[in-house]
Amino acid sequence: MALLTGWLSFFITVATIGCIYGLLTLGLNVHYGYTGLLNFGHVAFFAAGAYASAIVTMPPPSQVTNASYQLWLNLPMPLGFPVSLAAATLVGGLLAFLIGLTSVRLGTHYLAIATFALAGVFGDVLVNEAWLTNGSFGMNSVPKPGRAMLSADAWQLAYLAFVAAALVGVYLVLTRLMDAPFGRLLKGVRESESAAKALGKDTNVVKLKSFAIGGAIAGLAGGIYAHYLGSVVTAQFVPHVTFTVWAAMLLGGAASNVGAVGGAFLVVAFEESTRFITTAYDWVQSVLPEALSGILPALFGPLPNNPSFVPSMRFVVIGVLFVLVVRYRPEGLFGDPAEIDALGEED
Amino acid sequence: MVLDNLLQTAVFGLIEGSVIAVGAVGLTLSYGVTRFINFAYGEFLTYGAYLTVFLAAGLFGLSLPLPVAAVVAILVVGVLGVAVSRVFFEPISDRGALPLLITSIGVSFILRNMLQGWVGVEARQLPIPLMRRNDYFGIQLTDLELGVIVVSVVTMLAIHLLLQRTMLGKRMRATSGNRSLAEVAGIDTTEIIRQTWFISAAAGALSGVLYAVLFSPFRPVVGFEYLIVIFAATLLGGIGRPYGAMLGAICIGLAMNFGSTYLSANYTRAYAFLILVGVLLVRPEGIRGGEF
Repeated sequence: MALLTGWLSFFITVATIGCIYGLLTLGLNVHYGYTGLLNFGHVAFFAAGAYASAIVTMPPPSQVTNASYQLWLNLPMPLGFPVSLAAATLVGGLLAFLIGLTSVRLGTHYLAIATFALAGVFGDVLVNEAWLTNGSFGMNSVPKPGRAMLSADAWQLAYLAFVAAALVGVYLVLTRLMDAPFGRLLKGVRESESAAKALGKDTNVVKLKSFAIGGAIAGLAGGIYAHYLGSVVTAQFVPHVTFTVWAAMLLGGAASNVGAVGGAFLVVAFEESTRFITTAYDWVQSVLPEALSGILPALFGPLPNNPSFVPSMRFVVIGVLFVLVVRYRPEGLFGDPAEIDALGEED
Repeated sequence: MVLDNLLQTAVFGLIEGSVIAVGAVGLTLSYGVTRFINFAYGEFLTYGAYLTVFLAAGLFGLSLPLPVAAVVAILVVGVLGVAVSRVFFEPISDRGALPLLITSIGVSFILRNMLQGWVGVEARQLPIPLMRRNDYFGIQLTDLELGVIVVSVVTMLAIHLLLQRTMLGKRMRATSGNRSLAEVAGIDTTEIIRQTWFISAAAGALSGVLYAVLFSPFRPVVGFEYLIVIFAATLLGGIGRPYGAMLGAICIGLAMNFGSTYLSANYTRAYAFLILVGVLLVRPEGIRGGEF
């Protein structure tokens, strides 16, 4: 196959990242949408999964430049791939379980802050414990499963197919789970914790399970992400990831799995396409007739000439999305208003 | 020698605690009347620090003396706080805490990234000369560090007097205690909430300026990153309780400085947070219960 042309390659990238964020959003949706838990530290579970995959598959440090990690398993590809993903899922779930142990019994606000801060602390651990994570250099030789057998383009497509299958699989399992009595129990805790308690349910255990399930899904997403990029760097796992996932969930509609996936694709497509803003601006400028060419600069002024302008504007839009969705369409694009009514009521 | 070191660490802890205290009190005051945790609060710190730099270093074509620049910046951020509240929070104030909290995350993204898109990510610092440390009874302090403590103590006293002695303070306490009762008693609570936003945002800006004085240089994410520390102090003191926040801030400041001196300097924020989690597990309402 010839090298994929620009647009096709762009769409494959967007679709792959979209699927990974779809998984992340499904995980967060278990926490917030179904159980009403405010998790502002989602990125920690994602990172835990990615690092778990990296650690079990990285080659020995002697074969890597700038290596200072001391723990590696060097599992062979492609047979080690399922093991690596299982490890990612497990570690993501385990971290969520541990964080949950300290904080699920806190009230809404306390939980929001506890998860946000614990994720921050976890980020500090990733940067500082170079023996485990290779510090801010990152783990840059995570193997891409099957890459040796396929051309670059074929691998991109094959991996996309795999990620999509993983997304569909998790989606089906979750849909099934949420229709089961366990799903009703989660919603019961969301709607009224005291009512669930009165029925003899241990709500803290329910919340802990919800936390671990969502964390495990995020861990799986992390493992898939690590093998997709072939490198895991601390700078990828910043609080912005958490809030991008939140934006996706709110936009799609909390407590809706269709919404979670749809929102993730929309947000990722938007974020990836903003890289064309300056190109589009210049293009519009160049095709405008001479007489009109003063209009755009007059409207927008010269775009600030610093490299962080476009990335920053991207997050301004994400922020505006939060504000607008909450104010004008709390149920999101695909959500059910009746489910949202119960969210956010306390006491 | 060991004792000197201990004492010095304690003093640094108190200095940082006094920076945190100003921010924590501001955050907790606004929580008292609005009943949601404001994730955009860190941006008030950032804007305070950046505006001060711009005003002092001639970005707007004027180079004010640093203290004047700081005061102007603090007032401007206070007004910004009121504007933010009117645009983003007042329209949904009857919808409960959760929509407000989520909106505040959006607001923090908007404010932080507008600044970053405009000025870029490179670090800035206040035009402050390096200072020699003077010896006060065996403790080494610069005049600046001493100044930070003084400013913070004066601010705490001012807030104490405001709450206890002025009509505005009493109305704030009434609104915080029971908004509908305050309304029935003839208090214009909407107005009180706006005034509280001004005080809260201004305190945030002051905290940002003090932070910038102590820990230059800084970047547009400075406030967002320090938010964890301020949250820790606020929760430790019991959310919505100004005196608790002051106490919490001192504890957090001490914990962070003792931790980074005697354990590892890589985990400053973690110490703040471990203290908090430890306390919350025993006393979920924070160290200081009761009304404010």
